[in-house]
Amino acid sequence: MTTKTQDVTVTVNGAARTLACAGTTTLLTVLRDDLLLTGAKRGCNQGVCGACTVLIDGRPMRSCLTLAANLDGAEVTTVEGLAPRGELTRVQESLLKQNAVQCGFCTSGMVMVAHDLLQRSPDPDVEEVRDALSGNLCRCSGYRALVDAVIDAATGGAA
Amino acid sequence: MMAATFHKPATVDDAVRVLTDAGEGGRPISGGATLVAMMNAKLVEPDVLVSLSAIAELKDFGRAPDGTVRIGAMRRHRETAFESDLAGGQAVVAKAASQIANPPVRNMGTIGGSISFADPAADYPPALVAADATIEIAGPDGRRFVPAEEFFLGWYETAVEPGEIVTAVLLPPAPDRAVGHYEKLCRVAGDFALASVALVLALDGAGTVTHLRLAVGGCGGGPVRCPEAEALVVGAVPSAERIAALAERLVEDLDPVDDSRGSAEYRLQIVPRLIAKAFEEALTEMEPAR
Repeated sequence: MTTKTQDVTVTVNGAARTLACAGTTTLLTVLRDDLLLTGAKRGCNQGVCGACTVLIDGRPMRSCLTLAANLDGAEVTTVEGLAPRGELTRVQESLLKQNAVQCGFCTSGMVMVAHDLLQRSPDPDVEEVRDALSGNLCRCSGYRALVDAVIDAATGGAA
Repeated sequence: MMAATFHKPATVDDAVRVLTDAGEGGRPISGGATLVAMMNAKLVEPDVLVSLSAIAELKDFGRAPDGTVRIGAMRRHRETAFESDLAGGQAVVAKAASQIANPPVRNMGTIGGSISFADPAADYPPALVAADATIEIAGPDGRRFVPAEEFFLGWYETAVEPGEIVTAVLLPPAPDRAVGHYEKLCRVAGDFALASVALVLALDGAGTVTHLRLAVGGCGGGPVRCPEAEALVVGAVPSAERIAALAERLVEDLDPVDDSRGSAEYRLQIVPRLIAKAFEEALTEMEPAR
C-alpha cells in the first residue's frame, strides 16, 4: 500500500463502491464530488459544525475528518440512505411537522445524530437529545424546534 | 491538497519503520479528529501518512493482575468514557473522556491522538497527571515509558520524538477507596476548557486525606500540578479553608493567557472555584462508603 492513490472498497448506503483515493482525500470529498451524494455538507471542514456527519459502521462521525483511504471495508450511511427513496424516517417527518428546518444547511447532520440517538435510546429525555445534538451547529439558531422534533419522533407525536 | 503516500501497517514495528524512513514529512494518523482538521486548514501537509487503524494491539484495553490498566492508543474517547473497568481513582480518566467535544468526535478521536497533539486546554492531560499515568512510546529502539508529568512539555509539545508513536496509556492502581473527579468549565457545550481541574483523592476512616493528586488544565502550556499545594491538604481533614489554601498556592504556578475563550485574569479567578467544586463532588461521591 504505497502508491499515491488507494483502491478502497466502501459500502455506501448498502452498495459496495470501489474508489481510487489519494491519501489525503476525505470521505466528505468522495461523497460529494465522486458519488454526488450532496446531503453531507461542507461547513467548517474542521469537525466543529457537524454538517458533514454521516454514519460509519453505524456510528455518527465527521466525514470531513475521515480519510477515505482509511475506510477500506467500512460501511457508510449518508442522509440519502436512511430511508428508501421517496420515503422519510420518523426524525425527518417530525422535523417537517415541527418546522425545524430553516435554511436547511445543518439538517442532514442533525438527522444523522438524531437517528443514531433514537437507535440507541428510543425514549430519550430532553437532556439526552440536547447532548446528542450538541456537536451540530444551527446558525439559524433553531435549536428549540430541533429538540422538540426529536422528542416528537421518539414519542410518535404523543408528547 | 497535495497527494500523500498512505500506509496501513499491521504492526507497531512496521509503523515506526515507515515513519522513521519518511522523516519530517511523515505523520501517524489514528482517529483523524485532529490531524485531518489541520490538514484541511493546510497547517500540516504530510508526504507520508501512516494509518494506525490496522494495528490490533493499539485497540486493546486491559487490566494487569497488579491493577495497572493499559489503554491502547487507538481507544476512542467514547470507549474510554464508557469503560466500566475505570472505577475509583482511575475513573478520572473516563470522566475526562466523557467531556471531550461531542458524541461524533468522541466516536472518532483516540487517546493517543489527543495526547500527542497536546492541546493545553484538552481534557486528558490534567486527568492523566492526576491519575499518575505513564505514557508508552514506541520508536526505532523499542518501547520507552514516560510519566504523564514529563510527557506534556509545553504548548502542543510532548516527549514524543520524530519517528515515535504513542502506543498506550498506563494507569497505576489508585489507592483503595480513592475517587477521581474531573471538573471542566467551558463557554459552550463541547468546547475546549477555559480551565479544568482533575483530582484523585482518598481519605482514611477518620476523614483525613491519605492521597491527593490534582492537576489544572487550560492555564499554561501543559497541565499544572503543585505537590507543595497538595501537601497543605494531605494528612488533614479537607476543610474549605485548607482547600482554599491549596488553591491559593497552586494558582501561583499557573501561567494562563488571554484568548477568545477568556482572559488570563478570569482563569486565575475561576480555578479556585473549580478546585472547590472538584473536592465537593469527590467528597460527595465518597459519602456512601464513609
